[in-house]
Amino acid sequence: MRLGEPARLQAGINITPLVDVVLVLLIIFMVMAPQMRTGPEVTLPNTAKPTEQGDERGKIMVTIDEKGGLWIDDREIAPELFGEGLRAAVGTETDPKVVVKADSRLSIGDVRRAMIAIEDAGFQGVGLIAKRPGEKKAGGN
Amino acid sequence: MQMNGGGSGSGLQSEINITPLVDVVLVLLIIFMVVVPMMLHGYDVSIPQASSQTVPAEAEMSQVVLAVGEKNCQMFEPPAGEGLPANCRVSLDAREIPATDLPVRVAEALSGRPKDQRVLFLAADDRLNYEVILRIVDLAKSGVEDLRIEFVTD
Repeated sequence: MRLGEPARLQAGINITPLVDVVLVLLIIFMVMAPQMRTGPEVTLPNTAKPTEQGDERGKIMVTIDEKGGLWIDDREIAPELFGEGLRAAVGTETDPKVVVKADSRLSIGDVRRAMIAIEDAGFQGVGLIAKRPGEKKAGGN
Repeated sequence: MQMNGGGSGSGLQSEINITPLVDVVLVLLIIFMVVVPMMLHGYDVSIPQASSQTVPAEAEMSQVVLAVGEKNCQMFEPPAGEGLPANCRVSLDAREIPATDLPVRVAEALSGRPKDQRVLFLAADDRLNYEVILRIVDLAKSGVEDLRIEFVTD
């Protein structure tokens, strides 16, 4: 091709927009990944003014479903292995916080037994997750 | 060089092309709009530790105990709507009060204390509904800043 030739033709496909879109999708999935490990769907209790607990990163998510089954992150776990599973879930986190998503149909006794097991496993305090009025869903599921 | 030179030379552009920047910023905006409602909300609670060291410090002030019994607050199913029904009564320091008075009564009992000693011990009957207890915790916390809730176990 000589200089000065009219209308410079480009033979290769322009991949820049493709790369842009792919990078943005990568970012979206990096952001969404922590919210994907949420376990079963529960009806969270509805309260007036729950305080902010941050998002799910750096936390161990314990879910208690309506039948009283215990889940750590997205795995169901037998009650006798619960403490062990919690310590295994710490991984590389330093000072992880345990948050409990318990179904609103449970009794307080069910939740308290789980709290005792969590404290026995060496964690101090838990966050009981609720949803604000008007919020359809909380915590990504 | 000619302006809008149809066929001559390379069309140099002096301005920065901001279209990709705008694209990326809009997508980031969408990401944050999606993520913000996923913030978790809830209540920090704990169970009293059986440690001999903390007892003397806390014993200086009387412990405030909130008891929710199954006789005075017969709630075994999740409550309908918001708030608590008027027939749910709790006892704060052995005085029976309607649960809806909790913000005021807890504030009376604890707001005079230093922030690190505002502790409310909650003794609830095991059979009561979880959501009811969480609403009682909500009412108690709404009266006093930095209130720590300890779930008393049998």
